[in-house]
Amino acid sequence: MKKTLKPREREQLLGTIYGGPMGLWFTIFFTVPLGIIILYSFMKRGLYGGVEWEFTLTAYKQMFNPSFAMVVIRTLWISVLSTFLCILIAIPCGYAMAKSKHQTFLLFLIIIPFWTNSLIRIYAWISILSTEGFINSLLIRLGLIDEGLKLIYNNGAVVLVLIYMYLPFAILPLFTTIDKFDFSLLDAARDLGATKLGSIVRVMFPNIKSGLSTAFIFTFIPIFGAYTVPLLVGGKDSTMIGNIIVDQVSKTRNWPLASAFSMILTLISLIGVFWMLYNGKREQMQKEGGLKKTTQQALEHNVKAHHTHRGTK
Amino acid sequence: MHKASRFFLILAVFALLLTGVSCKKSNTQKGKLYLYNWTYYTPDSLVQQFEEETGIDVVIDNFASNEEMFAKLMAGGNEGYDLIFPSSDYTAIMIKLGLLSELDHSLIPNLKYLSPLFKEKASYDPTFRYSVPYFLGSSGIAVNTERAPRDYERTWAIFADSRMAGSMSMLDDMREVMGAALKHLGYSGNSTDIDQLKQATDLINTQWKPNLVKFDSESFGKAFSRGEFVVVHAYPENVFAEISKEKWSTIDFFIPAEGGMMYIDNMVIPTGSKNKEAAHAFINFIHDPKHYAVFLDTFSLPPTTNTGASAYMKTTQPFFSIDDLSNSDNISDLGPDLELYNQLWQTIRYQP
Repeated sequence: MKKTLKPREREQLLGTIYGGPMGLWFTIFFTVPLGIIILYSFMKRGLYGGVEWEFTLTAYKQMFNPSFAMVVIRTLWISVLSTFLCILIAIPCGYAMAKSKHQTFLLFLIIIPFWTNSLIRIYAWISILSTEGFINSLLIRLGLIDEGLKLIYNNGAVVLVLIYMYLPFAILPLFTTIDKFDFSLLDAARDLGATKLGSIVRVMFPNIKSGLSTAFIFTFIPIFGAYTVPLLVGGKDSTMIGNIIVDQVSKTRNWPLASAFSMILTLISLIGVFWMLYNGKREQMQKEGGLKKTTQQALEHNVKAHHTHRGTK
Repeated sequence: MHKASRFFLILAVFALLLTGVSCKKSNTQKGKLYLYNWTYYTPDSLVQQFEEETGIDVVIDNFASNEEMFAKLMAGGNEGYDLIFPSSDYTAIMIKLGLLSELDHSLIPNLKYLSPLFKEKASYDPTFRYSVPYFLGSSGIAVNTERAPRDYERTWAIFADSRMAGSMSMLDDMREVMGAALKHLGYSGNSTDIDQLKQATDLINTQWKPNLVKFDSESFGKAFSRGEFVVVHAYPENVFAEISKEKWSTIDFFIPAEGGMMYIDNMVIPTGSKNKEAAHAFINFIHDPKHYAVFLDTFSLPPTTNTGASAYMKTTQPFFSIDDLSNSDNISDLGPDLELYNQLWQTIRYQP
């Protein structure tokens, strides 16, 4: 006899089947390599690369040294600054896109850079910033400077190119949340006496918090692990944690130390993700709580009514 | 098998499955020769000629660094290749670990064309028991004479010349840079004396680094050709490849008189090879001066290794000659002492 499933059971089964390939993919290509990295970070280094099968904390002890401390501090300030600037630029961009009539076109423009390999885009920046490059030759032709400025091979160039590379990752989540934002709330705030800036900071920002935290995570994590940008447009003192990892694997043959640094990167990313999840949950709870209090809704309703009333006058 | 390498093997298997490295060529009677060489280091024309003359199918796999090649070998890849091209430090490691099979010199009569310099410089294997040099190269200094002041020094001291501050770069490679400083101070480029190493580090940190724009092993050739870098510590082939031949005369490439660091890339046959005869045949084929000249011309390399090749070469202006290398040291494997370099190099690279 054919066993029939209840619709609910069927759905659950289908869900498992649909999710299977992705689960398998993540187990094999994400969890297993991550497990190997964790394992390797606690091993003794092999003299010629690889590891020796012996438990030790040497790799983590090696991390505490002034040279590495400098790199960690540098990585932190470069990441924080670039992320902050990314979001600062992305907020008005997202706002403009949400207000625009040509949303699809603007989205398309943001996605276009991804069609080109990131290395090629970095090399493009090199030709823009170099002493004989686009900016310098333009400024010389305009007669503003006599000699090319040193725009490249310093930490400023690293921050600039990092912002360029990760700006879309900040704009997209901000755009989606701003798009859902009820703009009449801004008018309401103005009506109630807020300044233009005040209404944005005190009314809009709390409402797009989830977009802000997503934008933060999406930019901060990849910037924190950046490797090619500091390598190619950075100067003699632009090394970031990502570069240490590569050096330890490919030059000094210290795989456990490279693994230990990778662990730090992964941990920081995890903290970020958990923070985002926690924030999202709290926001949801607040929303649910808010709905129960009909007073807020009533207030909003009143404000809207007041606004439309005034508008028609 | 080594426990640790088993994990790596699993990964490697997946990587193989994904990329489908396995080459599907028809089997001929003479069998196949599996080569494992650096990227852009085997001229296609020579490989084709070898296949036509011997009837052996050549399958080429490439690596980008010694470390990559070695990791694959340790993960069990020793069985897959017949001829590998490691640098001398890794050749020494592979000899030490017993990964290489002894060569039969009677199958390689063209060994007679090898430069006598190897007897002195190839200290890891001076009699070619396990390895035959493929190419001897060297880093050096390239100067853009159109932009540099006229009276620059043709020694490593050029990096202490503050007139060119901000437009000089050195390789992002601790053995090359530390080696250069050690040679400049009159020590061996492979020194493991901690006092000498500290002096070298001081020299780099206090006199050279303030004038450098960066340590660069990736794109110095491009930056030099644009005129952004005026003086670069470089491998000549990377610099000249970026510049049109008409402008080569404006570049002064030299190996400092006090000596520098050089490298020897070798051809070795791993113990796991299944076609040693073909591997010997390929070594002998490459060192036929006529064929070797094609290799040098293809990659614009100077005739340092094979004494007969220069007669057949089309390139008339080699970047340097073998005589320039008489004071240079071959980068050798330092084993555990590499950590001494590593500690000091960190203060150079990671601390401002």
